[in-house]
Order: sequence, then structure tokens, then C-alpha cells
Amino acid sequence: VNAWRGLGFGLAVCLLAGVNSVAAGDDSAGTEFFESKIRPILVDNCYPCHSHQSPKIKGGLLLDSRDGVLKGGDTGPAVKPGDLAHSLLIKAVRYTDDELRMPPKNKRLAAYQIANLEAWVKMGAPGGDTNVQSFRIDDRSHWAFQPIRVPVVPAVRNKKLAQTPVDNFILARLEAAKLKPSPRADKRTLIRRATFDLIGLPPTPREVAAFMADKSPDAFARVVDGLLASTRYGERWGRYWLDVARYADTRGYVFGDDRHYAYSYTYRDYVIRAFNEDLPYNQFIEQQIAADLLPSGSDKRSLAALGYLTLGRRFDKNNNDIIDDRIDVVCRGIMGLTVGCARCHDHKFDPIPSRDYYSLYGVFDSSMEPDPEPLLGIEAPPKAREEYLAEHKKRVEARDKFREEKERAMAAQLRSQSGDYLLAAFEAQRSANQPDMDVMAHNRNLDPDVLRRWITALKGWRKSQQAIFAPWFGFAALAEKDFPARARELAAKYRANPNWPVALNPLVAGEFAGAAPATMKEVAERYDTLFTEVDQRWQQALADANSPAPAALSDAAHEALRQILYAADAPANVPRNDFDRLYDIPTVQKLQELQRQIDELDATSPGAPIRAMALTDRPDPHNAHIFIRGNSDNPGPEVPRQFLQVLSGPGRKPFQNGSGRLDLAEAIASRDNPLTARVLINRVWLHHFGSALVATPSDFGTRSEPPTHPELLDYLAARFMDEGWSIKKLHRWIMLSSAYQQSSDDNPASAKVDPNNRLLWRMNRQRLDFEAMRDTLLAVSGELDLTPGGHAVDITDPSSRRRTVYGYVDRQNLPDLFRTFDFASPDTSSPRRFYTSVPQQALYLMNSPFVINQAKSFAGRICLMSDTADEARIELLYQLAFQRDPSREEIEWARQFVRGPAAPSPSRDAWQKYAQVLLMSNELVFVD
Amino acid sequence: MGMGALGLANLLSTLGGVETARAENYVSPLLPKAPPFPGKAKRVIHIFANGGPSHVDTFDPKPSLEKYAGKLLPVENLATERKTGAAFPSPFKFKKYGQSGIEVSELFSHVAESIDDICVIRSMTADVPNHEPSLMLMNCGDARSIRPSMGSWVTYGLGSQNQNLPGFIAMCPGGYPIQESQNWQAGFLPGAYQGTYIDTAHTRIEELIQNIKNDYVSLPAQRQELDLLQKLNERHMANRRDDAQLEARIQSFELAYRMQMDASDAFDISNEPEHIRKMYGDGTQARQLLITRRLVERGVRFVQVWHGAGQPWDSHDDIQVNHGNLGREADQAIGALLKDLKQRGMLDDTLVIWGGEFGRTPTVELPKPGSNAGKINGRDHNHHGFSMWLAGGGARGGYVHGATDEFGFAAVEKKVHVHDLHATILRLLGFDHEKLTFRHSGRDFRLTDVYGRVVPELIA
Repeated sequence: VNAWRGLGFGLAVCLLAGVNSVAAGDDSAGTEFFESKIRPILVDNCYPCHSHQSPKIKGGLLLDSRDGVLKGGDTGPAVKPGDLAHSLLIKAVRYTDDELRMPPKNKRLAAYQIANLEAWVKMGAPGGDTNVQSFRIDDRSHWAFQPIRVPVVPAVRNKKLAQTPVDNFILARLEAAKLKPSPRADKRTLIRRATFDLIGLPPTPREVAAFMADKSPDAFARVVDGLLASTRYGERWGRYWLDVARYADTRGYVFGDDRHYAYSYTYRDYVIRAFNEDLPYNQFIEQQIAADLLPSGSDKRSLAALGYLTLGRRFDKNNNDIIDDRIDVVCRGIMGLTVGCARCHDHKFDPIPSRDYYSLYGVFDSSMEPDPEPLLGIEAPPKAREEYLAEHKKRVEARDKFREEKERAMAAQLRSQSGDYLLAAFEAQRSANQPDMDVMAHNRNLDPDVLRRWITALKGWRKSQQAIFAPWFGFAALAEKDFPARARELAAKYRANPNWPVALNPLVAGEFAGAAPATMKEVAERYDTLFTEVDQRWQQALADANSPAPAALSDAAHEALRQILYAADAPANVPRNDFDRLYDIPTVQKLQELQRQIDELDATSPGAPIRAMALTDRPDPHNAHIFIRGNSDNPGPEVPRQFLQVLSGPGRKPFQNGSGRLDLAEAIASRDNPLTARVLINRVWLHHFGSALVATPSDFGTRSEPPTHPELLDYLAARFMDEGWSIKKLHRWIMLSSAYQQSSDDNPASAKVDPNNRLLWRMNRQRLDFEAMRDTLLAVSGELDLTPGGHAVDITDPSSRRRTVYGYVDRQNLPDLFRTFDFASPDTSSPRRFYTSVPQQALYLMNSPFVINQAKSFAGRICLMSDTADEARIELLYQLAFQRDPSREEIEWARQFVRGPAAPSPSRDAWQKYAQVLLMSNELVFVD
Repeated sequence: MGMGALGLANLLSTLGGVETARAENYVSPLLPKAPPFPGKAKRVIHIFANGGPSHVDTFDPKPSLEKYAGKLLPVENLATERKTGAAFPSPFKFKKYGQSGIEVSELFSHVAESIDDICVIRSMTADVPNHEPSLMLMNCGDARSIRPSMGSWVTYGLGSQNQNLPGFIAMCPGGYPIQESQNWQAGFLPGAYQGTYIDTAHTRIEELIQNIKNDYVSLPAQRQELDLLQKLNERHMANRRDDAQLEARIQSFELAYRMQMDASDAFDISNEPEHIRKMYGDGTQARQLLITRRLVERGVRFVQVWHGAGQPWDSHDDIQVNHGNLGREADQAIGALLKDLKQRGMLDDTLVIWGGEFGRTPTVELPKPGSNAGKINGRDHNHHGFSMWLAGGGARGGYVHGATDEFGFAAVEKKVHVHDLHATILRLLGFDHEKLTFRHSGRDFRLTDVYGRVVPELIA
């Protein structure tokens, strides 16, 4: 397989946006026709010379706006709507006029394309942007681009319910819609809700009991504070951020090489720590974009934050795609802006010109990944470290030993083919019709590059090695057609005078002292004989010698010939990288395998040095050129490295420092950026309520739905920034509200008015996501291993007991288990999880060895009890699983199940099956 | 928006989060859905001859190569992955078949018996001569970026007719093809639309489908467990009637319970009568194609059948021996599948697609150190022109579409790009390829991106 070498051709992808769902305007059919049929023709065939981004605009004609089309170029309007005869564009594409033929150079359009253009003109040439861009790049009228102002907290009638200002905003809308909020949920429901919400695990029966007993007014606030202080919190909320960060432990498809990211886990651990330590969100953002450029003192741990940029898919090392991935994760992940859409053309809906995309491109193209990656200053345990070093040394030695053996063997083989190369070099030079050297080499089982080395060497030897090669060049100069006769004459001269034309190497002279060679092949063979003999002598000398090994052969004539084979610039001494090319496939695979073993050790050994997947500025930061239509082979104007126009205001200046990454980070995390805080508030809200204020958490552009509670969003965003960008404070403001503490029970009257609960007249019931589900099974069974951090573990192994956030994420072949439970795609920044119900999920709970293990352990917990009564056991299981007592009915069902019709006492096996039923139940995975 | 769009919109709002999960709204992601137009094809079998089968040795005879055998072609060889040399006539014999008289080589003599049901496209083109991007293009419509595969789009658009089996199954014996599970990825579509991979080198059901069997609990005992589970769930749901997610999850256990039987049955070809098994022949291809028929018969929407792990059809050397073996492995079984579907009346609404990610050069590949071992008897990759065929499901049988040049190097008449093929396949299934879309990352994506046109001649 030949890995695909990133071809530079362009993508015309984003144009599709909106073909299907442009808001129905006056002429949505016309717009649709334009977008699907006409614009692609114009982009492909006309924009290279007739758009604002063309390197040179021809004929004064611009076809990238409706105005431009109607105004036309130097020769008049391109299109008169409805009038085919007077539309120059139609005339040009029809190729009927000798003077006006477009596209030029006989690249005429297909008949169906011409027909579509005609149909379009007849329709009145609908669609198209009125201006060059469908927006003004400084257009900030869209709500999300407006500055965040602190709104007035609205007054509400039900003052008792207004526990925090959040409630005022929620209640104001409910009251306006004449809806009543739901009553407060009961305390058990509340503590379950808060615990799953903040740490992704169920509360213990003891925690529930303590909360139930606590009658103080701030009992719930203290529960929330306790949960926020738990290190389990970062594992839950950090994972949400890892969805945004398209986190994975592998680089995606590569052929042969190791796929591990050895240090992606350091980013995961950084994120978890940042949440646990409540690192101010603006700093969190800045570190993820530019930790290497921030003052960090002696604590280098924040360098791991740069994994946010670097741990994306590697697209077979295609630099453009890697940068695109980084632009996307920064802009969509942090600011809810789909800047990636401006890769091939100006964004069609948002004020993001292609220039802005390439401004950011320049920033990332001026950054590089340091090799080796910087150490984080975190020490591995000494014992593990020793083991690692020993093993690492062993593996490196194994690789080097194999490589050296193969190099020696390959060099020996090349030397043994000296005669063949000589002859081939001669024939390649002589042949009048210059046969393809590669083909010739292949046909003779020689390597074309080594052959080139011989040709080059011979050119030098013509001057420097006359003593050896004079006969070679002498015979080579003879005409081909009467070679035997001429060769006899020449050989006679050599015989007559061994010093003619120069003093010959005696061995060479001896070789040509006898009968004349009949062909050049024979001449080459004589040299080959000499080389072979000398090489044998040398090998013998090496074998015979005691240390130190000899530096040269004692006989000068032999030594001179040996130099042809062994000198540093000898053709057979190919550079190391060339050796790799010469090996056969098994050798290449073995080398890859040996290298992979080293990489794998670095990636998995607990003693391996702990490094950051960092980024650093290049010494030569540079601006990028726009790639016209995203095609890197078609560069347009250069654009400065600077921030997005729509977020910068009129005084925009190019970035000043290095690549500009730090400037970019500061601009994004700025108090003046209207998006960063809003996007974060919305993400946090989504996880608390199961529904977001802005339905598209990673797209706040003009096509997104406006927020359900815009003032609330702004209130929280402003206060969040004013009070230190603390996410933990934000949790409190939300969770201490009456809105959050409502019951999730249905209310048919309210449902009639607001079926989707957009106004939050109740709490949404939420289903546990994959991580919380699996962690809960482990917690309930008593098996959960709470070891934090470190190398990823294989959670598809049924005996794995670690929290799911520590599971190994292979983005190339994500295990079915992850997919089945709607894990976030690790390929691009993920705004939210899907929630599907498919039978494969049920099969996992019914049959997987992992769940069966948990059922066994869960049932095992009752065997430790002194009270062996069925009721007591059932109660314990209910408390552990659901934090409540079973009803009389449920106890009866359980007894029937574990005892069957006749059993005098339930078997362990029966309890295990019963335990598994509880683990499969809806009550376990739905949170009211 | 197309007619099916309402259903899709509904589904998507469901997938988007809990806020719309009211009982009347909830739709299981794989429930069958009608396409916007009546489509002749109801299900798809994609037989993937991975590695790149040579068109001039299978479905595109080129007698002119004989004239130049061993000599350079009078035209310049087009650039492919590696250097190629002289003209290399096919070592396989071609013959006319059926009423249509379409010529097919001896490699596919069994398939050729159904030629009057087959629409041979001889003018396929792709973008580059490399496996990885070409596989991605053929399967996902994009050579580089992460995009859902065709099978994912189809199950997203149509759901599946059997809820007890996965809606989209990808079978490959012995491991993954090149580019691995990306070939059947759901991309940004929900995981439920991802192809379920099955290694058909295995024969035992528990090795074929994860978690399909429980070694610990018998089926009757498990039934008792589920009966209790349903009682508990019913009680839990008593005052939560409005929430369709609860009911959906309850149903998923019943589906899973039945899947254990149904899937075991679907994959057990020993249930087939002797004469049917004989018809398909022996070996892995026969087994997996017979399984394929049993799966589509049971309502699985999209089955992709790969020849084998890696890239078996990639005959850079020894094409006579290697293609000969591959043909022997596959031909009888594919031929049997077509006949079997037809005799059951299923060929009318089952679209069978055969092809690789590209074809091969009509000129011989020149050896490269370390890879060909000095052999000069194979062909290089060729994306400039190659053959694929469609059968059933509304495809126009007994028809040859387009042509390559005199020697088979490049498509020259009625070219069909992979995007066009995708557009046509979606049309056969009842979709306008421009309207089967999914909103992701701020825009609407589709299988054909901004390309593709339906090729009406391919449709009966």
C-alpha cells in the first residue's frame, strides 16, 4: 500500500450549506435552483477570473454577486433577467460567437450546464447574494455578535420561587405564557439528580439518608458544594469538555506506523484537573491555545493543555486538513462559529470571509509540534521508570541491531553488483535514445538511484581515478559497431605499455594484459572480478584481525580498489534513509514493527517520561495566502494573521507576537468577545437541564435558533465573567434555582401549551450517557476503581473497573460498545450526544461478561449481611441501586423470582439473576 | 424538502435531546421510513471487490491490447500509482452472454449467466489511484474528510425493516479491509447508523455478533428475568407515561431478546436446503453471500460484503493466477446470489452492486524493488476508467453504459463519476440525492457533497 500523499486539490464542500433549508423567502425555489445548479457552475468555471477573490479580475466582470452579474463587465451586463438574447453570459457559454467564448480555451460547459444557465436567466436570474458577500463583514446585528450587557432582572409575581436570579428569568417567561412551574422535587430525587449531574455516579444510601435527615434550609446547597469539591466532579465535567475537544488516544488511519498518541492522556488529565481546581475558564481557554507562550513558572503541567489543538485526526499528515481541524475545534468548540465553512469561499450565512479563515490558518501554520515533546515535570514512580528505561534500551537496541545488520547486508549486496552497475551506467550514458533509466534498472534488478550514484561517481573518477578506470573509459569510448576490432587495438596498447596513458593500478593492468575483451559487458565483468577479489581480501582481513580492526589493506593496489567500494562517497555507501527504500517488504515491516514497539512502550508504559502534546511557534512565522476555493495549488492574496473581523471592530490590527497564537487566545478569552462566555454558559446549561438555551451549542451563527431565554443567557454570561469565569459558581447559580429543583413529573395542561418544555415548566428527565451508565453499574456493584488519571485503559475488557473517562479511545476503530451507546464521535468537535435506544444496548446489558460480572458482585454484597431475610436483602439492593426502599409489591415480585415456585431458600445464582434485572432497569439509567 | 423530510426532521429533533422526547414524538432511529419518491430498490447488497478488480480482465474486453502485446501503446500511458510499461492483453477469455450479448470474461462466467439482469457501467471514474482515498470516495463520497458511509445514509433515510437485526451490516472475512471500519462509518450521524461489522471467517454466532449469547443464563431463565424487568419498568413508568424514551428502552429489551434467536437463525446457513448450498458452492464467499441473502430476506436494509481483509483484488503481480483465484472464489457464489434472489422474486427490489474502489491498468506494471520481486505480470491501480455493475432494484438489465478508450485506460464515453453512481443509487432507493441531508457543524451535508448527477440510462 502506498499511503496517500496528501494531494493538494481543493474542496468545494461548504457550498452545499443551505441548499436544502434556506429560510423560505420570496423566491425560495429560485434560490434553491441557483444554489444547487447555478452557483456550482459559476464557482467552478467563472470565479477563477470573475470573483473578488480572483488573483486578477478579467474584463471588469464580477460574477460572485447578483449586483455584479446585472451590472456586468466592460462589455455590458452579463445577464438581463428573462432575456436570453441580450444576456452576454448566455452568448459566451453557447460558444456561437467567435469573439466571446467562455470559459476560454475551449473548456466549454456541458450541454446540461448551459441548459441550466438558460433556464435560470429565463426565470429572471433569481438567487445569489446581492453583494459580494451575503453579509457585511462588520455586520453585528445578529444577537450572538452583540456585546454582552447585564440585563435587568425581571420582576415576577411568584417571589417565593425566585431563589436565584435565574428563576426570575425563567418565571417571567412562564408567567407570561400563563404556565406554572412544577413543584419542588422530593429530596431523594434531588440528591440523585444533583449527584448524577455533578459527578456522574449515584449517591450512596448513607449520603441520601444524611440529606433526608438534614432539615436546615441550606441542606441542598451543602450537597452541591460537597459534590463540587469531589474529585469525581472533574471526571464527569471534564468528559463533557473532551467531547468538544474531539478527544482520542490515536491519530486515526496510518499504514504501518504506531497509531497511539503517547501523551494524549496528559491532556485528558489536565482537563479533569482544570475542572476540579475550577481554573478560571478564560485561563482554561488561553492555556489550550497558547500555554507554551504564557508565563507558567516552574509548573509546566499546563503545557498539556495544548492537546486541545494537537490531538485531532492526522489525515495522513495532510497539513491543510490538520490546520482545518484546529481552526474548527477552536472556533466551533469555544465560540460556536462555523469558521470551517469559510475554507473554500466566504461563509454563506455568517460574516466570516475566507480571508479570516486564512488569517487563522497563518497562525496555525506558523506553529509547530516540538520534537521531542516537552516534559511536564511530573515524575513517574521510580520503579516503573527503571523498568521503562531498561525496556526502552532493549527495544532501541533491538531496532538498531536489526537495522545495522540489514544495512551491512544491503551494502554488501550493492558492492557485489558493481559490475552490473558499471555496465548499466555505461549503457545508460551511451544509448542515443536514452532509455528510461528506471525501467532499465528494474529490468536488471538494480536500483535506479544507486545507478545514478554510479553515474555520478564515474564522472568524478574520470579525473581522479585514471589509474583504475583508464581502461574502462578507453573501451567505453570505442564505437559500438566495430568494438571487437578496436578493442583489440586498444588492448594491445595496454599490453605494450602498462604506463599508458597513465600508470595503471597493477591489478587493473594485469586484468587487461591478456586477450582483448569482445564487449563492454566483458570489460565490466573484469572489473567485477577485481572488485570481488578485493572485497574478499578485505572481509578476510577483517575476520583475521585481532582488535583493533585494520583501517586499510596493506597492499596499495588492493587498497586503491577497495576505496572504490568503501570510500565514504562510494556508490554502495548509500545514505541511511535510502537503505530503507531498498529493503524488501518483510524487512521494512520488521523495521516498522521494531519502531512500533518503541513507540508503543512510550505510549503505554507507566514509567515512560510524561510529556505534553505541545505546540510551539516556528522561528519564521508567516502569513498565509488564501487558497482559492480551498485549493492549495491556487493561492490568492496574502492575508495578515489577525482575529475575525466580526469580533474585532474597526480597529483590527494584525497579531504582533510570533505566530499570533497568544494574541488569538487573548482575543477569544476576552471580556469583549460576545461569544466565548455565552457558548460556555449554554453548554453548562445543556448538561444541567438536558436542553440548551441555544439549541445548537456549537453553532451560534445566523442560522441558529435564537436562545429561548436571551436575557438569562446574557445575565449568566456577564456575571460569569465579572465574577472570575468560575464554572463552579455557575453550577451553584443554576442548581440552587427553583427551576433546577423542580419535579420532572408531567403536567398535561402545561404540555399542551409547551410540549417541548422550552420554557422549563418542569425539569427534564435525563438518561445517563455511556460513561455515567457504565460507571453506575460499577458503583452499584461495589467494584468501581476510583484510581485517577494516567494511561488509558481498555474498558472493553470485561474485568476493567476504572471509570469510563479513562477508557482508551481509538478513533479509527472505535469499539462497538462506544458507538452502541452513542459516545461522542472522536473525529470532530461534538456539540451534544445523541440518545438512541437500540437492541444492541440491551444485548450488552443482558449478555456481556462485564454486566454479568457486575451482577455477580452486586448480588455478592448481600451475602455479607448478617440479616439473611429476603426482605432485608432486597432492601439493600434497592438502596444501593435506587436509593429508596422497595414497595411491598416489589418485594413480593423479588421473592417470587429468587425462590421460584418451591425453593426453600434462594440460591446465590438466583440472587445474581435478580441483581442483573435491577441493573437493567429503567430506574437505574433515568434520572428524574 | 422531500416528502421523507418530515419523518427525518421528527427523528432528528428526537435525537437532539430529551426536550422533545414526548411519547407522540419518539421514533426509534431504525424504524422503517418511506422514501420521498417511490423507489424500486428496497434494500442494497454491495459486493465490494476490494483492492481494485481489473476491468479489462472482467467486464470490459479490449481486443486491441492483443495487437500491442508486449509493446508500448501508441498513446502515452496515463499516470497511475506506479510506472507501467507495455500493453498487457487479458489472459482471460471473453464470451457473449444472454440475449443482450454482453461480453464477460471467464472469470465471471456464473455471474454472466444473469447478464440480462445486469447493468454494466464501463465508464466509471474516481479521483486518484490510491486505495485509501478511493475507498473513502466509493463508500463515503469524500476521499479525505469524515463523512457517513452510503450504508449509513441509506439506513438513516429508510430505517430498517427488521428491528431484530442491525439495519446495516458490513461483512469481511478475516479482518478489516484497508481503511478499516471507516468504510462503514456513521461519521456525524448517530451511532445506530454505523455498519455492524461481522468477521465472516467465523462460523459460530457468538463470534459473529457481540453479546448475542449468554453462556450463563438459558433462554427460558432469561425470559423470566425480562418478565420481571418489564414488571419493574412498567411500575416505574406508571406516573411517567408521557416519556417515550422509557417505552423505547423497554422495547429494546424485547427486540434484543428476539434478536438472539433471529440473528442466530439468519447466520445459520445449515438451515438452507442442500440444493441451495450447492448452488452457492463452498468456501467463505459462498457462505457470506448465502448469509447475505438470508439477511436481506429478513429485512436488513444494507449489506456490504467484502471479499476479504486487506486488499485481495490488488493484483500488482501474477494477475493471471491471482485474479484467476479470486474469480474462482467469488464467481459462483455471486452468480448464485443473483439467481437465488430472482427465483424468490427478490431481485426486483434488491439492488446488487458489484465493484472495487477502482480498476487496473491495461498496461503491465513495472517492477519496483522490494514489492514485485521482479515480476512483470500484473497491473497497477487505475482510476481513469473502470467497470462496475448493478443488478436488480430497478437497474436496467442487459445494458452496457459508457465505454473506456480503445485500450481501457480511461473512460471516454458517458463517464460516470463515483458521485454520479451514488446519486443514481439513491434515486433507485427513492431519494433525491440533493435532499437527503443532515445538519452538522452549521451546514447540511449529503452523500454526494456538492456533486453528483443521476444517470437516467442506468435506470430501467
